[in-house]
Amino acid sequence: MRKKLNYKRMEGLQGYVFILPWIVGFIAFTAGPLIFSFAASFTNYNITSQMDFVGFDNYENLFTADNLFWTSLYNTLYYVLFSIPLTTAGAIFLSALLNQDVPGIRFFRTIYYLPAVLSGVGVYLLWMQLLDPGTGLVNTALGWFGIPGPNWLFDPDWTKPALIFMKLWSVGGGMLLYLASMQGVSKSLYEAAKIDGASSWQQFRFITIPMITPVIFFDIVTSLIGGFQIFQEAYVMSNGEGGPVNSMLFYNLYMWKKAFESFDMGYAMAMSWILFIIVFIITIINLKLAPRWVHYEGEER
Amino acid sequence: MFSKKLLPLFFAVLLVLSGCAGFKTGDSKSADSGDKVVIDFWSFWGSEIRRPVIDKIVEDFNKSQDKIEVKHTFVPWGDIWTKELAAIAAKNPPDVVINDINATALRGQKNQAMNLSQFLEKDDISDRFYEELWNATLYEGDSYGIPFNTDTRILFYNKTAFKEAGLDPEKPPATWEELWEYAEKLDVKNGDTYDRIGFYPLWGVNSDVWMLNSDGKNFFDEDGAPIIDSEANRETLEWVLDWHKKYGANTINSYKSQIDSQQGNPFFNGKLAMYVNTPTFYTQIRDYAPDLDFGVAMLPEREPGSGNTSWGGGFVAEIPQGSKHPEEAWEFIKHLTDVEAQEYWAVKNFDNVANIKAAENAAKNSEMPDKDKVVYQMAIDNMENTLLTPVPVHAPDFMNLVNPELDSILLGKKSIEQGLKDAQQSLEKLTEKSK
Repeated sequence: MRKKLNYKRMEGLQGYVFILPWIVGFIAFTAGPLIFSFAASFTNYNITSQMDFVGFDNYENLFTADNLFWTSLYNTLYYVLFSIPLTTAGAIFLSALLNQDVPGIRFFRTIYYLPAVLSGVGVYLLWMQLLDPGTGLVNTALGWFGIPGPNWLFDPDWTKPALIFMKLWSVGGGMLLYLASMQGVSKSLYEAAKIDGASSWQQFRFITIPMITPVIFFDIVTSLIGGFQIFQEAYVMSNGEGGPVNSMLFYNLYMWKKAFESFDMGYAMAMSWILFIIVFIITIINLKLAPRWVHYEGEER
Repeated sequence: MFSKKLLPLFFAVLLVLSGCAGFKTGDSKSADSGDKVVIDFWSFWGSEIRRPVIDKIVEDFNKSQDKIEVKHTFVPWGDIWTKELAAIAAKNPPDVVINDINATALRGQKNQAMNLSQFLEKDDISDRFYEELWNATLYEGDSYGIPFNTDTRILFYNKTAFKEAGLDPEKPPATWEELWEYAEKLDVKNGDTYDRIGFYPLWGVNSDVWMLNSDGKNFFDEDGAPIIDSEANRETLEWVLDWHKKYGANTINSYKSQIDSQQGNPFFNGKLAMYVNTPTFYTQIRDYAPDLDFGVAMLPEREPGSGNTSWGGGFVAEIPQGSKHPEEAWEFIKHLTDVEAQEYWAVKNFDNVANIKAAENAAKNSEMPDKDKVVYQMAIDNMENTLLTPVPVHAPDFMNLVNPELDSILLGKKSIEQGLKDAQQSLEKLTEKSK
């Protein structure tokens, strides 16, 4: 009995040894700064010269005196609300297409996945040229059909749609997940459905979709978290300014400006905690809703 | 090939190695080099043109004495100041950093840059520089950075186009009214489009430059009170909107994208007759349109006597708070901003320098071709009209509030009166809050 316990303890210990690099990393590089930023969000910390306790002043100013806070929050919500459903639906649609058994499908899969490999500043600069109102390819193409293209990145009403449009171009990343999951769906299910006379749409709707819900769930949770943190796109495509009439001033961009341009670090830290709470609540809601629609194979509902 | 057993080992080794690499960078400072003190100098000048010039200046300094060795580190533009801030917070900063002149006072107030008055008391070098530049480095009377280079905005005009339009190529427009008249004559319309555009004020600069030009006043007065909602600013924006109406959004957008593409700038092929930009824009003319016959002039006055005020910026060399060798850093900064280094920089880069004597020498330097000298001399002459707009220490991010109002006015979403009134109010609120 004693020996067995020791063995168990030994195994537990080994487990901890194996995850030690992660634990050390987490405590030193994540948990430490996390706690520090929470504490410093109640101060007027500016990194170099001051750190005095100011109570809830930062939070109070954010909610009562800072219009740009609300602008940035609105911009971010707008982006998340439109981009997440569109990219999710786009990725599912694309993977359904690429799941067909036709000659040359590997070639097409590669083509559609390519944009997901490219990333970062280069892509944004490319899109700035594509979206150029006068000479860009997008408006030129629209012109062939007699549609006068908008001013994309210069018109405050079109900057966010332009970013969402750009995001749709790189749905290949999500597509890969869905494709893998679709290929895992048992062929026998389709065969049985076919014998029962189900149409292709019915097969897709009642077999494919339910079978890939775990991946949809995963994708929505992670892209929601990522969506709230949009920064690079706006920073690069508006030269760090936030675009015309602050229409690309997203939450994280404004936070960055407060932290590194005005050196108002305590204020920026308070902002980051508000964002954390928003994302936290949304993720909890997601997790609570999941059992209603996510289907795990072999699981009793 | 790797067997399955070896693969994890290989990755483990790789991890350890990459870990080591991370620790190496900060350590090289203590590398032994005899009795010399090694100081770390950060700049963002990494381009093919600028890197060799600054490296030569550093090398000259290292050879000129045997006590200090400067190590130049190139840090990309997008990273340099956030990295500097992190290094200051970690109490291990570089010894000299090139930073934005307009926020020097702010960095002084926040204790990021070292107060240089202790060195200036011993050797006062302030009269080396243009006064406007020097004043921008002061916070409560003390300097926190030494001006290195600067810029200004001047008018470039196409002499061939002037002749074609029957204008005197030696007589550039002197007032806003003349600018409009000249542009009317220079315009060549072809149906709905233009073969040549005379002038459009918002290519090359923003509307705030013209508001500065209109009355020589910034958005804040000497006491830091906002004065954006002024008669002159209202008139300026009206004038800008008139230009916008004249050419129309479509023409303006398509020209704008050509200007943004650099080598496609319509000024190079004569499709744009007048254009405002920094004197260094000349290097692009030299590269892309060497045969262009052009002249340079000061910005026109709003009305006779209102002044040819122009706008400038620049960079300073400063010692971050917590530098281990401030004395040696100061010696290097003195070298960096002295006549010899500054003249070398000016001639090799065709860049405006902060040192007055060096700038004047550069304009006469035999290495500079005649055409270059003309533009350079204009840049120097224009320094007298050039104002800087240092960020107010109590409202450093004020442009976040002003820009959307100006955007709304130019997009026709707000009237000029309303936009300026709203801008004025939000600036007043901002300054009040931070007091």
